[in-house]
Amino acid sequence: MEVRNEVADGVALCRIVGKIDALTGPDLQAAAGSAINGGHPRIIFDMREVTYISSAGLRVIVLTAKHAKAANGGLAVFGLQPAISEVFEIAGLRTVIPIVSSETEARSKIGA
Amino acid sequence: MKHLTLADEIVVLMLHDDTGEIRPAYAGVANIAIAGGILMELALLGRIDTDLTSLYIVDPNPVGDKLLDQALQQIATEPQKRASAWWLERLGLHNGDLSGRVLGRLVEAGILRAEDQRFLWVFSRRAYPQNSGRAEREAKARLMSVIFDDALPDPRDTLLFSLADSSGILNEMLTPKEMRKAAKRIAEVVALEEIGRSVRAIVSKRRMALAAAASGRSWVGPGRDW
Repeated sequence: MEVRNEVADGVALCRIVGKIDALTGPDLQAAAGSAINGGHPRIIFDMREVTYISSAGLRVIVLTAKHAKAANGGLAVFGLQPAISEVFEIAGLRTVIPIVSSETEARSKIGA
Repeated sequence: MKHLTLADEIVVLMLHDDTGEIRPAYAGVANIAIAGGILMELALLGRIDTDLTSLYIVDPNPVGDKLLDQALQQIATEPQKRASAWWLERLGLHNGDLSGRVLGRLVEAGILRAEDQRFLWVFSRRAYPQNSGRAEREAKARLMSVIFDDALPDPRDTLLFSLADSSGILNEMLTPKEMRKAAKRIAEVVALEEIGRSVRAIVSKRRMALAAAASGRSWVGPGRDW
């Protein structure tokens, strides 16, 4: 997995490529954690190039949403592939975090 | 107090405060819930991971806990990749007296004490009263905060919560009215974790099988008399 981090208009954008699982999840958690600790608690995960997510990967998403919210920000994700979307659906993540189809929508969901 | 694993905590929650035994309501499902706790702990420790179809090893190195390491070794040496549901049944139903082993380690940790009791002057049983009850109180407080706090729970609390829900512990803690009010929140939290969903499915299947077996016996009884 590769995470490319950008900050634009006060929003931290993590563009994720590859698999999010127990081995790679900590890297994503570290990237999101450094954004929150660096004063950017409004975070967007670009997941258009995520090919797999495990339970450990989902925990990273939930933890990031929890920490971002606790810092008066939030997490939105966009661009889920159908297989990833199914995993999110089964885990009920749509009721927990905004899941949208474009970066523009994601920005509006977290008030950017 | 020694850090308790999820398997330890779920057993503490299943114990009857007065009798010091696992409540009869959990008798048929206790070992599945404990197996769920073992798998969840291994997942939190980064040793295994799961997805919709399989449970797999991430890191086979022992964690230094006999109960967890035995399960980890079983998973690591299984030639085929299996789903979490398969492992729950394997560890929970074909692995000896799992609840007895957890009760034993809770005695060693000083959370419980073992008492041999006699009833009807003839029969003996071993009860496990709690020493201070602190472990149970803390676990219950965490479960209640998951229900009544709108914030996302952390993964450990989510996992304990899903075990407590699937084994019926939440039903004992809350009134039917509170359960109805919290139903949406409970469903949201339980859905988050794959192993929790598998525990729930197996427990539900076992409860139905046990109910069918019980009703089958009561039906066969009168039939013979006729």
